[in-house]
Amino acid sequence: MTNWRLWLGIISTSLILFIAVFGPLLAPYEKDYVEPTGYYYNGPDDFGVHSSPYPPSKEHLLGTDEWGYDILTLLLYGAKYTVFVGIGVAFFRIAIGGSLGIWFGLSGKEKKKTGTIFGLLGSIPAFLIIYFLLIRITINSPLSILELILVQSLLMVVVGFPGVYSAIYSKTIELNKELYITATKALGSSKLRILGKHIFPHLKGTLLAMFVKEIILVLTLIGQLGIFNLFLGGSILRLGGPPVYISISRDWAGLIGQWRSFIYDYQWILYFPLLAFVLLLFSFYMLSRGIELRQKATMQKYPHI
Amino acid sequence: MRIVFSIAGLITFIFLLAAVPLSINIIDDNLTLSFKTMAELIKNYATGLLNGDSFTYQEGKNRTYNLIHDIASYLFTSLRYLLLAGFLSVIIGLLISAWYSKSKKEWMKDTIGFLGTIPDFILVIFLQLGVVSIYQSTGFRLARVASRSADENAYLLPLITLTLIPAIYLIRTLSERTYDVLSEDYILTAKAKGLKKRVIYINHVIRNVLPFLKADLHKVLAIMMSNLFIVEYLFNIRGITAMLFGGTMYQYNLIVNTLFALVFLYLIVYWSIRLLILLLERVFAHD
Repeated sequence: MTNWRLWLGIISTSLILFIAVFGPLLAPYEKDYVEPTGYYYNGPDDFGVHSSPYPPSKEHLLGTDEWGYDILTLLLYGAKYTVFVGIGVAFFRIAIGGSLGIWFGLSGKEKKKTGTIFGLLGSIPAFLIIYFLLIRITINSPLSILELILVQSLLMVVVGFPGVYSAIYSKTIELNKELYITATKALGSSKLRILGKHIFPHLKGTLLAMFVKEIILVLTLIGQLGIFNLFLGGSILRLGGPPVYISISRDWAGLIGQWRSFIYDYQWILYFPLLAFVLLLFSFYMLSRGIELRQKATMQKYPHI
Repeated sequence: MRIVFSIAGLITFIFLLAAVPLSINIIDDNLTLSFKTMAELIKNYATGLLNGDSFTYQEGKNRTYNLIHDIASYLFTSLRYLLLAGFLSVIIGLLISAWYSKSKKEWMKDTIGFLGTIPDFILVIFLQLGVVSIYQSTGFRLARVASRSADENAYLLPLITLTLIPAIYLIRTLSERTYDVLSEDYILTAKAKGLKKRVIYINHVIRNVLPFLKADLHKVLAIMMSNLFIVEYLFNIRGITAMLFGGTMYQYNLIVNTLFALVFLYLIVYWSIRLLILLLERVFAHD
């Protein structure tokens, strides 16, 4: 049986990467094009006012938002921030957490019993930590988009890599107990050789699967921060009337956060960014399922009943 | 000894974390963290402990309220949601993972797995959109989309969100464990003795899966706590997390006290679920 999930994942992920890179070239409008509000008069019985938000139509495939910005254009411009920050942060989490985990796992002993108190940190979720650290920096920030994204990514790496570390650490400890490791140790091979010849080839697949899963986790984190108005690349807070938060970079999670109140009316404004975000998650999910099934096929155990 | 150190670490962490938003400054594109402000905030909190100022909070301009008096109802609201969702998800997780681990239906695994990767906020918004569109097309009010006041809390949709996400996590991890247990030798022995499938599951499989559930509980609760923030925020529930985001201005002592209350809430829920597991052990793993 062909692994169609893997192929579906690879194809849709590359499509999304393509959109992220070439999105601005494909966009039907300029980044700050605003569909003007006006009136029309075709006859005594056919006249009126047209004003934003415009529903999806030929001119605006996905409609416009409440100010008249074309939603498709915003999504195409914002894709690169969401996608590349997701991939980049996940990569550094795996690189740092994975290498530390393998290294300490090789020299470490049996895993200590994790105390209750360590788990207590779970009562303060990761996004809350980032929220407190970023709240003063992100909203109406004097930093540029790029600087801000760097700071945000750095924080997301820092809160995320311990999880990768402990998973890889315990996996390495498990592998270290295998007989062939003992044998190769008895033959006098060095730590580096064990690492390169035995541990790493074994963990390669796990690391790859974890990488894709980490991307999904990072995207979730970005989304949660977006719900609390901390957008990737900065938020503009407009006061005077009810406070309005606007995403500067137009990243997808930010768009969802900024438009999340459109559940009663003009739902397309919220619906299309949500759909785009779910598609993004779906393609990474398919990729991870495909990798997982390929892994499983190579190292399978069979149940007795 | 380790416990003392960890508790001290947690307390310092909370004090520092809550102080960060007030002590960060950006002057001419330079990020600076003022440790002096931090120390001052913590000192004020400590002196406030003696005269009771640390347990008050402000609303609006000059109205000061007693926090200890008010926080209880917020805490109970959150507790109610968490306990219900926690019990439900543990039981659903245990029941479904036994079946899931053996299932050859990969498409079901795809669906459950994908539901598990959908973040909480997307699930919430989709549920809300769904209820609104059902109402708009049929005029039938399926559930409350958000709470209007503390007396009219939305229950159905928040509980669905709070239960579904940890339950799916449990199904995925526990089914892997169940699969591992099923391939152990003692299962083969039991099978060779001619024991019925049901007996093997009740006497051998579940009791060997329960320790993994216990070990995973912190992770499950961490997921639930992070969901709680999103759920209470998007459904407008006056729970403990509303204290963190509700105020008009940033009050250091309010934030610190709320974070401590969160840890307290976590402990209550944790030990309640541990009690449930203990109960299950009495049923399935008694000797």
